[in-house]
Amino acid sequence: MRSLDIGATGMMAQQLNVDTISNNIANMTTTGFKRQRAAFLDLIYQNVDRPGSASSDADTLVPSGIQMGLGVRAGAVYRMTGQGAIEITENPLDLAVTGEGYFQIELPNGNTAYTRDGTFQLNENGELVTVQGYRVEPGITIPEDAKDIDINANGEVLVSIEGQVAMQNLGQLELASFVNPVGLEAVGDNLFLETESSGAPTNGTPGEDQFGAIRQGALEQSNVNVVEEITRLIAAQRAYEMNSNVISTSDEMMQVVGQLK
Amino acid sequence: MENSIYLGLSRQMTLRTNMAITANNIANMNTPGYRGQNMLFAEYLADPKGAEDELSFVYDRGQYQDSKAGPMQQTDNPLDMALVGPGFFGVAGPGGQPTYSRAGNFQMGINGTLQTSAGFDVLDQGGAAIQIPADAKEFKIDDNGVVSTENGAIGTIQIVEFENIQNLSPMGNNLYTTNDAPIEATQTRTKQGYVEGSNVNSILEMTNMIEISRSFQAMQQAMSVENDRLRSAIAKLTKTT
Repeated sequence: MRSLDIGATGMMAQQLNVDTISNNIANMTTTGFKRQRAAFLDLIYQNVDRPGSASSDADTLVPSGIQMGLGVRAGAVYRMTGQGAIEITENPLDLAVTGEGYFQIELPNGNTAYTRDGTFQLNENGELVTVQGYRVEPGITIPEDAKDIDINANGEVLVSIEGQVAMQNLGQLELASFVNPVGLEAVGDNLFLETESSGAPTNGTPGEDQFGAIRQGALEQSNVNVVEEITRLIAAQRAYEMNSNVISTSDEMMQVVGQLK
Repeated sequence: MENSIYLGLSRQMTLRTNMAITANNIANMNTPGYRGQNMLFAEYLADPKGAEDELSFVYDRGQYQDSKAGPMQQTDNPLDMALVGPGFFGVAGPGGQPTYSRAGNFQMGINGTLQTSAGFDVLDQGGAAIQIPADAKEFKIDDNGVVSTENGAIGTIQIVEFENIQNLSPMGNNLYTTNDAPIEATQTRTKQGYVEGSNVNSILEMTNMIEISRSFQAMQQAMSVENDRLRSAIAKLTKTT
């Protein structure tokens, strides 16, 4: 009974679909989260040869006899890197990228990770760090006596210090961009790692070339569209049910055969 | 004499194939650009010795694909595109062979080329892969499949039509192959930000499945009645006393 196995591939595919959708919904309010989508492909086809079917019949409807598809498989779960909505927080250390580019984060093991989440804070040394306490690259240290922190659209960090008239320039934040940002490997904590598929990062100044500008006092929300996710969830659930019906129908048919005297 | 059992068997065998095809349609209910397959039955006349009339067996003659367009799903993803009209995208299939696809959920590949979700290069009109520049900020596809970035056009996606789409045979990975020469697309347009869903009609497939299941049972019933008849015939004819 091929249909039994085909129904099973359908159920597995829809299970993955529901998993992906639920992860999107769960991360609806995760800063800088990019929604994912499962892409399905039809599985291989089995050619059922039938001698005589390619006879002199002039009807061109079915020249190739029967090709039986053997179900469905998940081809990829890929990330859709569209811009999320910008939410104003007025926290001076919250940064959003409006356009392309990732912040660079130094992991505890020394490697560089990339993120769209600009919820930054200061650590005990006055360094700019992520929520997990990982340093933002290139390192920016805010002096203790700084009053106001101003980060402009090009990523320059300026502070005004007590008793000084001019703002002091502490350095420049850089963004990294990838040829194929969809190919980045997600490692959780809103962080991504470079892979062969993403290509090597290109560093640059925010607001220049392909890089997006930095917006201080704002965060990029997730780009999950809840209405779309829910409709996809409904479709996935019904598809799951129908595939389970295929299995029970195949089961009934096998039962009928089993009753053959 | 036991012909009716074989007639029933021929029907059950075709129903099993039909069930597999229906199951495959349901499994691919969410596969982009998937075309539903339908079964074609034919009568097979046989004139066995000993039978007064010709016997009419059934066999699964072949299948044909449902060519109606699937629903357009809006995704707003710039790399998604749907085809409006009867055409297909040209794709470099396994080993570089020319294949065709309706699934327009494209991605950017490792080398920055436009690829299908299974990783096969989407071709331009000259048969080469479409290279997206690394520094591209905007990605636009117009109605005729011309791909452009903010710096101008970078290529035109190969869109072809066929005289008889029934000659296309599916090969998995949302690809089709054929020996027919494609003709230039005149009635097909592209729509960016949309994906064509599967054209499987779930209600029809479910009713189809019920019908298959019930026909299968009915044939079984007929065969079992025939079996009883044979048994009682043997019992009566061999009664010696």
